[in-house]
Amino acid sequence: MTLDYAWLLDPLYQRWLLNGISTTVLLSLLGIVLMFVIGIIGAAFLHLNVRYLQTPTTIFVELFRNTPPLVQLFFLYFMLSDIGLTLTDPATGRSIPLFTGFTCVVLSLGLYNGAIAVEIIRSGLLAVPSQTVEGARALGYTRLQTFRHVELPIGLRLCIPPMASNIVSLIKTSSQAVLVAVADVMYGATQIMLETFRNLEVMLLIWVVYLVITGVAVLIVRRIAAAVRIPGYGS
Amino acid sequence: MTQVQPSAPLIELRDVHKSFGSIEVLKGVSMSVRDGGVVCIIGPSGSGKSTILRCINGLITIDRGTVRVGSFAVETLTKDKHLVPLRHEVAMVFQQYNLFPHRTVLQNLTMAPVQVLGEKPAVVRERALALLAKVRLTGKENAYPGELSGGQQQRVAIARALAMQPRVILFDEVTAALDPEMVSEVLNVIRELAREGMTCVLVTHEMRFAQEVADEIFFTDKGVIVEHGPPARLFKSPNDPRLKAFLDKVL
Repeated sequence: MTLDYAWLLDPLYQRWLLNGISTTVLLSLLGIVLMFVIGIIGAAFLHLNVRYLQTPTTIFVELFRNTPPLVQLFFLYFMLSDIGLTLTDPATGRSIPLFTGFTCVVLSLGLYNGAIAVEIIRSGLLAVPSQTVEGARALGYTRLQTFRHVELPIGLRLCIPPMASNIVSLIKTSSQAVLVAVADVMYGATQIMLETFRNLEVMLLIWVVYLVITGVAVLIVRRIAAAVRIPGYGS
Repeated sequence: MTQVQPSAPLIELRDVHKSFGSIEVLKGVSMSVRDGGVVCIIGPSGSGKSTILRCINGLITIDRGTVRVGSFAVETLTKDKHLVPLRHEVAMVFQQYNLFPHRTVLQNLTMAPVQVLGEKPAVVRERALALLAKVRLTGKENAYPGELSGGQQQRVAIARALAMQPRVILFDEVTAALDPEMVSEVLNVIRELAREGMTCVLVTHEMRFAQEVADEIFFTDKGVIVEHGPPARLFKSPNDPRLKAFLDKVL
């Protein structure tokens, strides 16, 4: 068996791959931002025992954490396009759908990994020593101020390792964008396979591409972890 | 809030009851502390000493009775916002220091006055530096709590309490977690504060220290104050058999 990578010299395929990679990275970055927003707000609702919001948050977490992300993506895609919300492009005056495949993938990633992030951040908050919280309370910090200035900054640091796994999971899950016709790297790969029939070679390459993207993500998280490490705290 | 005559004691507890679940920790505690007074609460573990302190600054709510600090009726303060002025007046130092590990020593002192009391950062910073000098920690401004020894951390905690410019400081077994050689450096700071006229309420197992600094000692056992009085009398000629037994064990 020999591997044939001659097709990689074709500028068209190169462009498909590079555009695909940048789309995958963009989907992931936007998904990560949304994931953090959902994770922090959800964890705050649960941790602060916010009345009327605690139960909906728990239902949200169970709903999105315990069902396949692909089912969620398809549901979002078909439901939102059914609603048919559109906006008018100011440049061309054309009506374009508000919830494109791209938007749906970002939403789906943010919701699925955000639900998991709620629990991860909550575990970090629970690991903040009760004495530290009591110290803040005794200084007059309100419940919300204690959360913002003491519990959240410490809790987020404590949950970095599981959060790194969640970020990697999000990047990998973004590959299902291909199923709602978003031209990510997986989409480019399937197109190239259809034209060249070099299935094994293309998949090998895509494997490496994902490894590099997630590897870089993990490196960045490690850098951040080192930068915000609390001197003399824990290990 | 009720108006109080200036001659009234600064802190006054009347018939305070507190249960945690089915366990009644305080069974009718009454005590008073005058402005500038130094009071020590002694007694066996689980007798409710720390709970008394936490009633004074509203860290725990009481079931029955009244707690008054200055013009504050503490048991009526239920909202976080209402507790801010009380905690401005009553600071607390803990057994485990309870510092903010993610902030530097200087930030530990300046955070609450700026974020809670809304004071100007520059003013607070000056005060914080002076307080660090007072507890002999000049040069450690940018260290993190985790990089300091227990004795140093506890002195930071005392400086942090002082940065709030309180009228009262509550000390909850502040030397209990320290190595023996660090106990004296912390006690020296407290001794200085007591001399300067700061009202201090200490829960402590350091009997010699209590005898030296306190002008009144309260002995608690099983949720009540069994006996109280000036240290000279209480330590030399205790009346209650429980206090006698306790002193035999610890002295």
